[in-house]
Amino acid sequence: MSFLLPKTRRQILQQSAIGFGGLAMQALLAGEATSENPLTARQPHFKPRAKRIVFLFMKGGPSHVDTFDPKPLLDRDHGKPLPFAGPKVTFAKQGNLLRSPWKFQQHGDSGLPVSELFPQIAKQSDKLCVLRSVHGTNPAHGAAALKLHTGAEQLVRPSFGSWITYGLGTENQNLPGFITICPTLAHGGVNNWGSAFLPSHCQGTPIGNASLPATQANVKHIDNPHLSLHQQREQIDLIRNLSQPFQESTDAQEALDSRLNSFELAFRMQTAMPEIQDLSQETTTTRSLYGIDDPVTEDFGRQCLMARRFLERDVRFVQVTHSDSFVQWDQHSNLYQGHTKNAAEVDRPIAGLLQDLESRGLLEDTLVLWGGEFGRTPTSQGNNGRDHNPHGFTMWMAGGGVKAGFAYGATDDYGYYAAENKMHVHDLHATILHLLGLDHQRLTYRYAGRDFRLTDVAGVVAKDILA
Amino acid sequence: MSCLPNGSSSPLAKPLFRSPDSVDPVMPRFLMLPLLVAVIAGNAAAADQGIEFFEKQVRPILVEHCYECHSAEMDVQGGLRLDWQQGIVAGGDSGPAIVKGKPHESLLIKAIEYQDRQLQMPPQNAIPVAQQTTLKRWIKMGAPDPRTTAPGETEEPQGMSVAEGRQFWSFQPVVAPPVPRIDSDFVQTPIDAFVLQQLQQQGLDPAPPADKSTLIRRATQDLIGLPATEQQVADYLSDESANAFCKVIERLLASHHHGQHWGRHWLDVARYADSNGLDENIGFGNAWRYRDYVIDAFNADKPYDRFLIEQLAGDLLPAASDETITATGFLQLGPKVLAEPDIEKLHLDTIDEQLDTVGKAFLGMTLGCVRCHDHKFDPIKQTDYYSLAAIFRSTQTFGERKNGAIKFWYEHSVGSDQDKERIAEVDKQLAALKSAASSFRNKAISELRQQARTQAADYLVACLHFEPNASLKQVDKIAQPLNLHPRVLLHCRSHLEFHREDPFFKDWHRLAKEATPDALRKHYSELFQHAEDAFAQTQQQTPKTKRLTDPTLEAARAALDDHSGFLAVPSVDAFAFDSETLTEHHRLLSIARAFETTAPDLPELMGVCDGEVTNTMPVMIRGSHHNPGAAVQRGFPEVMRWSNQPVAFPDNASGRLELAQWIAAPEHPLTARVMVNRVWAWHFGQGLVASTENFGVMGQRPANQPLLDWLAAYFVRSGWSVKALHRIILNSSTWQMASTHADASHCQSIDPKNQLHWRQNLRRLRAEQIRDAILSVCGRLDPTVGGKTLPLRNRQFVFNHTSEDHTTYDSLRRAVYLPVIRNNLYSLFTEFDYPDPTMPTGVRSQTTVAPQALVLLNDPLILDSATALARRITRDSPHSTVSQIRELYSRCLARSPNEHERRLATTFLEKDIANPVQRLAMLCQAILCSHEFMHVN
Repeated sequence: MSFLLPKTRRQILQQSAIGFGGLAMQALLAGEATSENPLTARQPHFKPRAKRIVFLFMKGGPSHVDTFDPKPLLDRDHGKPLPFAGPKVTFAKQGNLLRSPWKFQQHGDSGLPVSELFPQIAKQSDKLCVLRSVHGTNPAHGAAALKLHTGAEQLVRPSFGSWITYGLGTENQNLPGFITICPTLAHGGVNNWGSAFLPSHCQGTPIGNASLPATQANVKHIDNPHLSLHQQREQIDLIRNLSQPFQESTDAQEALDSRLNSFELAFRMQTAMPEIQDLSQETTTTRSLYGIDDPVTEDFGRQCLMARRFLERDVRFVQVTHSDSFVQWDQHSNLYQGHTKNAAEVDRPIAGLLQDLESRGLLEDTLVLWGGEFGRTPTSQGNNGRDHNPHGFTMWMAGGGVKAGFAYGATDDYGYYAAENKMHVHDLHATILHLLGLDHQRLTYRYAGRDFRLTDVAGVVAKDILA
Repeated sequence: MSCLPNGSSSPLAKPLFRSPDSVDPVMPRFLMLPLLVAVIAGNAAAADQGIEFFEKQVRPILVEHCYECHSAEMDVQGGLRLDWQQGIVAGGDSGPAIVKGKPHESLLIKAIEYQDRQLQMPPQNAIPVAQQTTLKRWIKMGAPDPRTTAPGETEEPQGMSVAEGRQFWSFQPVVAPPVPRIDSDFVQTPIDAFVLQQLQQQGLDPAPPADKSTLIRRATQDLIGLPATEQQVADYLSDESANAFCKVIERLLASHHHGQHWGRHWLDVARYADSNGLDENIGFGNAWRYRDYVIDAFNADKPYDRFLIEQLAGDLLPAASDETITATGFLQLGPKVLAEPDIEKLHLDTIDEQLDTVGKAFLGMTLGCVRCHDHKFDPIKQTDYYSLAAIFRSTQTFGERKNGAIKFWYEHSVGSDQDKERIAEVDKQLAALKSAASSFRNKAISELRQQARTQAADYLVACLHFEPNASLKQVDKIAQPLNLHPRVLLHCRSHLEFHREDPFFKDWHRLAKEATPDALRKHYSELFQHAEDAFAQTQQQTPKTKRLTDPTLEAARAALDDHSGFLAVPSVDAFAFDSETLTEHHRLLSIARAFETTAPDLPELMGVCDGEVTNTMPVMIRGSHHNPGAAVQRGFPEVMRWSNQPVAFPDNASGRLELAQWIAAPEHPLTARVMVNRVWAWHFGQGLVASTENFGVMGQRPANQPLLDWLAAYFVRSGWSVKALHRIILNSSTWQMASTHADASHCQSIDPKNQLHWRQNLRRLRAEQIRDAILSVCGRLDPTVGGKTLPLRNRQFVFNHTSEDHTTYDSLRRAVYLPVIRNNLYSLFTEFDYPDPTMPTGVRSQTTVAPQALVLLNDPLILDSATALARRITRDSPHSTVSQIRELYSRCLARSPNEHERRLATTFLEKDIANPVQRLAMLCQAILCSHEFMHVN
């Protein structure tokens, strides 16, 4: 090879894994061979604004026109047909425009409008960066949830939490880098936190699932029903002693040693986890801040508080899912009753989390992301419901280097389509990676002869929201 | 699916010329020149004005809004360049961007006007209307544009041309190379000659042969996936005949466990699963028939060409049978977006999955990359993709029926009328059980509603005592003494708040301020009473009446009747019902579910059949069905064709049979190579071509191509016998080498990945081997063979929206029979690198992570097995620690413990004698977790 002639891009592509992906992979292999934890923290591409992220996933699709995206014309034209064409593919027959049953008010210094569904979050509105122009592609829950979590809908791809864990590793050697609390098993399920072709340690570690109350949520295999920790310690020592002669007889001593070390790490995790999940260590004031003292907010409050305890221990990515035995926010009918109930369950816990993160100095480098897999139509389904709407909906961010008390983008006059500063899910992903110090075009992984990206071939960072 | 050459737009070196098959962008420019000259000569002044208009008005718009994605300097998305004249005229994948003089026929204008949802540019925001007008005006003027030369090309990688491709190693015909003549004891088979030749070229020596006890353990795990017993080891050690090892191989190949282990290898490739597990996770109730078919095929050594043809076109064979139709399950097993409402997209996505799987499994080609554009690396063109896609478009993968939004995949019905009657009866019973649960629930809800209705005024009075933001706890204190439902009460209060301007509830807010609670109660009790009475009366007179004429009374009646109104009952059962009701409802549901999970289905074969045959299919531009381009004929990828004779596809059949026969032909350059490479990889832990699913440009080159080609030719010559491959490989010195090498560090410095085979690889057991070995040595393995094991009825939800996990993996049968439930795989398996069953996997990864240790330390299967073994050993030799340890080693490791091990174990057992069986179980578990148990060396 000549040093004078630069290789063509094609040559480079054909011969080696280039970019961050390749380098990270090598670091990883080296880590495995020298029995280090492959999750060791790694340098981002550039200075990050956020070190960690918490995603508050509202399963089912909360309605944006009833929460964070007020539409006066919707109110005015209630009962009239949508004055422009709706999408060709919808689930239900499109009804006429349906005004929001809730009133909006401006809040805080920023004057951000929030509907009366979220009185507590409204008080935190000066922390929010409301993204009103998010759009996806698929109107079905499963495909939309997969798109939001993995950037792909009909192919199994790594979750964005896995990409982030892959790109940045974790700061805490005793804990997984990516934790998902009470995730839903439906609509993509495991694939929503799976690592697909990324190394398996990048996958999310689920704690419980959506059908279990937070009090029963646990990491699988985290405890032994028969043996005490002392007995297990003895047993791990025995495994080491019994394995030693075999190890010494092979050419693979380092690899086998790392296997023995994995028992040590497991033991440390086993000791650490129950302590983190033990919310009784929190003060009454804190517990009350999250609404743990009220049955309506208790369950989601526990999840949010648990999330904070993981975040402050530097877990990189924590997801909290608001879902139960129903498709929580999916109000095809009974919009009023369903959204009232759902909002009441999350309002205080989320507001509590924002306040708590701020008072502990964590908010500045923790990115909070809120939203569902899509929004809902401004038109009615039946007489009191709304259909799925992936064409324009709202998510919001807070903390972690985004403008506070800010609204970005807009839907059309009625809230059907994203219209201004449109933010596709790929753009959202690119922006999140950017906030964490990762260039979405450079965070690649070579698999089956291709360099894959979270954002596929798309993605534009929404620079306007950066603080 | 789109390929990703490299995300960064970093300015790497540019190719000097384009590959010859791509359109030369220079040529049309010459063609254009005379025209342009004519325009300029005809009206020089107008032209100057036009150019000025472009420079002042148009260029800034293009630079500001378009260049980021459509210029050589930045990016060329959709093949469109707007940074020079001819780029705009020629357009991109969707065709010319403008029609000069006709703005309303120009795609560019369509895109910026934002009227067509499929085509909106720029993607984030529409450009201001004034700028839109400018561009329209410019096109109307004839789009004058001084940018006659193209700025530098971007370095978009271009795939190889077909001609180049034919020179690429994997597309060249397989020619068996001569076996190197090397005089060495190492050469027991031709394999060894090829291996030794390479080692010698690098100055390396092969490792010595493994000892006999290592060899039989290795062979047993390798061929049947189970540990050798101490007796089997002893028999082999004492057999000193020359063909002793051949006997072992034959015994193992004849065992029905062979197919259970090797069938599982193929199931990795076939991305086998028992549930859909994509957007909606419902059971593939008949997938097991395909699983059993595969196991049988490996046991019977079904010729691989036949095996391949059956999986792609078993339904079209002249002598099609249930068996060959079952084989087409291969095409049906992929994950599908079953609730996709866009049917055309569903079909194309499904075809894409099928093509990608066929490509990776049989051809080592990533065909999925070609859906949107020509392959960026391999000589596969988009036209090749749609030629193949047309074959699958003519194939029927979906049935006629659906359940709500969820489409049914196709199944061949083979049930008799009697079966149908029997199943109809089962369906009836199931419906009755389900309706028992739902009517119980409905009744309980309507009772709650009725009760709330009779207490309507009480609720409205109780609401006076707290604010809408009160906690449920506070509300509970108010509700209990009044015998009200606290959640209904809390909801009632927030309903009043949200409806404070509703005429009916305005009164409440007024009365709350002005009147006493008693007055409020009186007001509402009387109002509701009047409304109820009036309605009853009206109905008596005219039963069809739905509403009252008096507006006040009607409002009261409507409020009472509104199930989501002020007295709405919680929609979540756990919030609505008392524990007794909940338990009973749950009990009824469980009965229905238990009945359903074991209820028989109509016998059906999951597979595909021919559908409406189409000879051609349009190339979908950028893979989008909203953008169909020119049609192509059914056909095979050009680069792989070995004959110029066009394929005659029948008009009345999909062409799958022709495709299958073409892939399975001995002349095909890829088929035999790909399969022998797979078999090699399953024997050694890595393939001769490391990328088992990618024999293309981006894949790895073969570490030893002469060996690969020799094996491929041997495979075809042996009648595509996989067992023949096993025999020659296991009899080779290469396979029989020890996994340690005296000069390992030197060898490693030359060949760190052991691609040249200077020793055997030390390998951790695969996930299934770990489980089966544990069950087997602890005496718990259930030998039952075949049949349905998925605990779900066909198309029953694994999870519906409830997220309730009813999946259990407590069956003790061999691992291959455990259901493969996508999205809820057995955690013991996933931790140990079980493949993702949504895509073909040839070589599993082998990771070491802490969750594996958590499984080994805490999983019930392991704990129960260790306890079972401890009990058994205690029963057999209750008093002697020494013989217990001896027995433990014999069963787990098929050998006796040495002195050191005996001492370690004794010390451990004697340290705590409070619960000897538990202590022994702890020791058992430690041995099951040990390196020796978990590895084949």
